[in-house]
Amino acid sequence: MASDALDNSVTLCRSCDLVIRKRALPTGVRALCPRCHTQLYDTPYCSINGMLALCITAIIFFFPANTYPVLELEFLGSMRTTTVLEGAIAVYQQGYWVVAIAVMTAAVIAPGILLVSILVQIVIIKYGLQHSFLRSVLKQALKLQGLLTQLTMLEIYVISFLVAAFNLADFATVSFGFGTFCFTMLFIMNLFLLREYDLEHMWSFLEQ
Amino acid sequence: MNSNPNNSTLGKQIGLTCCPTCNKVTCAESACCSRCDTKLTIRDYASLQKSWALLITAAILLIPANLYPITTLTNQGKVTQDTIFSGIAHLVKTDMIPIAIILFTASILVPLLKIIGLTIYLTAISFKLPISKKNLMIGFHIIEWIGRWSMLDLFVISLTVAVVNMGQLLDAKPAPAATAFALVILLTQLAAKVIDTRLLWDRLESKNDSRTNT
Repeated sequence: MASDALDNSVTLCRSCDLVIRKRALPTGVRALCPRCHTQLYDTPYCSINGMLALCITAIIFFFPANTYPVLELEFLGSMRTTTVLEGAIAVYQQGYWVVAIAVMTAAVIAPGILLVSILVQIVIIKYGLQHSFLRSVLKQALKLQGLLTQLTMLEIYVISFLVAAFNLADFATVSFGFGTFCFTMLFIMNLFLLREYDLEHMWSFLEQ
Repeated sequence: MNSNPNNSTLGKQIGLTCCPTCNKVTCAESACCSRCDTKLTIRDYASLQKSWALLITAAILLIPANLYPITTLTNQGKVTQDTIFSGIAHLVKTDMIPIAIILFTASILVPLLKIIGLTIYLTAISFKLPISKKNLMIGFHIIEWIGRWSMLDLFVISLTVAVVNMGQLLDAKPAPAATAFALVILLTQLAAKVIDTRLLWDRLESKNDSRTNT
């Protein structure tokens, strides 16, 4: 059985260590561990070119999403706007740097690095698998992937636009800026990109 | 291999282990994963202690996070300080029930349920409580997934603080509970992440085994 595993016909559940014999799955079906219901594997629908397109689109939206105002507030004739970055900086200037770092990481830094990392991975897989240096870059990028996806919280930030707008509607007139549109698009692109992305499949390129 | 899920082979019984980083199945004797060079251990027993430590710290911080004010609002010279709870109560009063429900779930219910859930989970492993493993695992998956939504409140605070700054007329600032609340989220996320879940299945399994043997 040990030799079976090494030629990939057997897998282990990563939450409970159960030995599971792999079977071919139809698309859109995922295998769950019979004992603890952790997701095991699915047939990767992972088109490299499709991911590249989504990744580039997401990167294009990334910059306006962070530099254009997301919320506009009108109060007694004066207009205040804020971008995602300014939100984090404002909290930092009040001395709440833990909050500022959390907001920056979850909304700006992690999504940014995630997109660049996926772009680099795709480019290496398409053109640079022969070079040993590029292979080690790919390996490091794949090792970081899990952490980066966990730290990316775009969907939560999109909901927070709405909550903040409703919260402030009490005091002043609030409207959404161009940044909100870009940020929402960034979130949607990121969502579809990560649906296409399959870590196990990306690892398999390194084994060839 | 047996198809019955209740008595089937474990990886450690046949000398295999699964890489925690890249999920590749490797021989347990090898020190490093052949694909990504991560150090391999069959079980991470220290993870229980780490997780307890993080969880207890988070539970302690949950008290200041809820008792101290999280925002300071200046409206036409009048300064009011809102705790998480009074902020939500204010939303209910102004008839914004859906927003109140979202904020209540994200900033009170989720952190509290996470801490209670992880405590039950860790006690079940540490003291071998007879709780259904399947339920514990379902609960754990939910905790892992929902925990990040607590960040919502911090995002709202940062947007509000940035957009509302007009001196004495109208001004919003964060208050001490914000840091405590951020740390609660961070620590509970870490506590859930470090646990080696395979320990749950091991420990309770060995108890059941000894019962059937005798």
